[in-house]
Amino acid sequence: MDALFLLLPISLLFVLGIGVAFWWAIFAGQFDDTRDAASAILDDDDRAHPGAS
Amino acid sequence: MTDAMRRARRHMLARTGLAWLVMMQVMMLAFPGYLRHGARAPDAQQSLEQAIVLMNWLSLILCVPLILYCAWPVWRGACRALSRRRVGMDVPVALGILAAFVPSVVATWRDAGEVYFDSVSMFVAFLLTARFLETCARQAVSGQPHEGRDAELLRSADRLAFWFVCIQILLAVLVGLYWWHVRPDHAVAVTVALLVMSCPCALSMSVPAALAARHAARLRAGADGARDPESLDRAMRRVARQNLHGSLAWHLLMAPLAACGWVQPWVAAITMLLSSLAVAANAWRLTRPADGGAAGRRTAAQLA
Repeated sequence: MDALFLLLPISLLFVLGIGVAFWWAIFAGQFDDTRDAASAILDDDDRAHPGAS
Repeated sequence: MTDAMRRARRHMLARTGLAWLVMMQVMMLAFPGYLRHGARAPDAQQSLEQAIVLMNWLSLILCVPLILYCAWPVWRGACRALSRRRVGMDVPVALGILAAFVPSVVATWRDAGEVYFDSVSMFVAFLLTARFLETCARQAVSGQPHEGRDAELLRSADRLAFWFVCIQILLAVLVGLYWWHVRPDHAVAVTVALLVMSCPCALSMSVPAALAARHAARLRAGADGARDPESLDRAMRRVARQNLHGSLAWHLLMAPLAACGWVQPWVAAITMLLSSLAVAANAWRLTRPADGGAAGRRTAAQLA
């Protein structure tokens, strides 16, 4: 029971940290374009490295 | 997409995500409250009561940013609607949040009575999810000019939502007063459940979602070359009608159950989210190719 009084405030701090990280990720633009980022690797220009393939 | 639209979408996403984060924490902290009425030894009961007090205070702390930051669009919209002497969608939502939050704060402070922090956080999180979908749908539509019939469809849906909200608020107040006389301890729960259900999220996103889905289907049809615009238009109107009638039927089915006190506020919040998601999923069907994905498979085969 006494452990709860320690652990619950710690969990509150964790939630705060997660919230701040999530906030930062959104306003850094990480969720702006989820579709094109996934296919970007297919659209790169292979001619730049002719010997790589 | 313009900068203002991108900023609006980022803010909506931040509010929605943070509301989900708070909701998950508060649901976990609310769990001991549901165990309160079991049979156990007196000392175990006493330590459970202590844990419930601590967890109620933590829920209160978590709900303050939820109310002040995440629910900010609700307060702004409700103030704007009231200053124009109108009843928009935000007024019943604001009433529902206040009706659940204020008695919970009082109960936490006095350490007596039921708290509804889990219902408040679920309501706000689900509401913002529906709003986020609606924002995406409206932003997808806003770039293209409206045809006359589309504007007419949007107007009639908004009119329907207006009358719906008025009747639901009246019903919530009357039923709440009735319960206050019969069973005062149940009055808050019933009123909150009815106010949560009066939120016309699904109703107000039914037509924009159908329009956005038609827009996406047109873009795809332009790429694939198939599907004539006339049948797409008919399909869009059919989906918009289905959405409107479906969400109305949902509310008409749930409201009597809530008035009888059989629906807990958090159940009402879940049904609200489900009806909104059903509307979005129904509209999304429009964007599928008419021939059941054969065109997509053809493209994939060509790529391979």
